[in-house]
Amino acid sequence: MKSRVTICLYLLALMLSSAAAAESAITVRATELKKEPYADAETVATLPDQARVEILRRQGGWTQIKAQSATQGWVRMLSLRLGDGTARKGDSGIGSLLNVARSGSSGTTVATGVRGLTEEDLRNARPNPEELRKMERLAATPRDARKFAVSANLGSHQVGYLPAPAGSAPASSGNKSPWGDGL
Amino acid sequence: MTFPEKIRGSALLLLLVALPAGAFDFNRLDLNKIGGLMGKAKDVQEVDEKGEIQIGQGVAANLLGAAPLVADERMQKYVNQTGRWLALHTERPDLDWHFGVLDSPNINAFATPGGYIFITRGLLLKLHNEAELAGVLAHEIAHVLRRHHLNAIQKSARVGLVADVLSIATQNKQHSEALDKVINAGTELYARGLDKDDEFEADRMGVVIAARAGYDPYALPAVLQTLDAMNPQDSGLALMFKTHPAPASRLELLDKAMQSSLDPYAGQPTLAARFVKFAGPAMKP
Repeated sequence: MKSRVTICLYLLALMLSSAAAAESAITVRATELKKEPYADAETVATLPDQARVEILRRQGGWTQIKAQSATQGWVRMLSLRLGDGTARKGDSGIGSLLNVARSGSSGTTVATGVRGLTEEDLRNARPNPEELRKMERLAATPRDARKFAVSANLGSHQVGYLPAPAGSAPASSGNKSPWGDGL
Repeated sequence: MTFPEKIRGSALLLLLVALPAGAFDFNRLDLNKIGGLMGKAKDVQEVDEKGEIQIGQGVAANLLGAAPLVADERMQKYVNQTGRWLALHTERPDLDWHFGVLDSPNINAFATPGGYIFITRGLLLKLHNEAELAGVLAHEIAHVLRRHHLNAIQKSARVGLVADVLSIATQNKQHSEALDKVINAGTELYARGLDKDDEFEADRMGVVIAARAGYDPYALPAVLQTLDAMNPQDSGLALMFKTHPAPASRLELLDKAMQSSLDPYAGQPTLAARFVKFAGPAMKP
């Protein structure tokens, strides 16, 4: 019984890892189509702005796509906008695989009459101290967290915060993180 | 305002706004006085974190009043471990961070002052792996690190509210009338939303915090792409879309900020299998 559950979850994870399959996207700028997911990989084609492509999978900052010419390759993930502008959108994630909250036959997930966290619910909310105590009881200690990370081989790195891009609002100046200068 | 940019600590702000209205003229403030205030600011800052946590607990209790936790302790612990691991890689590693999945089909996530972080079941359902969860939690953690909500509450135009915040910081009463007022104003903030720049900043910090903690930093942009592709008429998105900049503009600014600087970390794990193992069971209808 337990092993069957494990197998089901494994299959689900497999499906999730390729959940982007058959999704379409549009380029938001002229984009080089690379043979491999690296900036210095061979360019196999240049896609124009607003080109419709089919998404195969994502790997880090790169998305593998099939262009309309049937050429396959990798483009910068952020050069794409998901969806192809038609009505059928947003059908991805663990929820879509578990068939949660689907309405109608379109496969489009639409939550209607949502209750609980609407603007009005928030304005009228009454405190629930019991749930708060429960939340506090479920907290993880730093030790728990480290064990949890080690079990999945999550490493730690020193990475400085990113400045705000030029032309937009100023970065979080005046609040230099100790992380910027090392641990 | 010609006030020096450097002097922007929230503690000092608290002191300045506490001055009588007539004395509220930055140009006339003499620098010695400011120096003196800065010296005292330390004491206030310390009490301030306690006050911050008290406000956060109150707001968190209200959010939990609007939607309770999903009744799956194993999943809640999993989300807490993910979040705590991320928080250890920030400038506030010792704060008592708490994470919770709210039982609501709405697609949203919230952070309260003092480190109470929430993600809704509706948003969790849209995620593909642990790195995406980490990206969302890291964005929320950033709001706490930068005290975005606390600052917004202080900036709130409500007469007397700032003084109330100050009295919480200095009196440190368990439950004063002032605290209730600030908590209620604070909860309302979640219906109105933060400044757009606070959201962009939390995105920029979120991808970095995720990278530090060993996750693929592109998972947060992947979540934004998912949201961008959703039907904006979906009522589950109404509050998030009202209170946040459009996912497309968030992606555009993240793209400009990231360029290829986080690419060395792009190959880090996404952990889809562990995400499904812990988050999957509670997501069934």
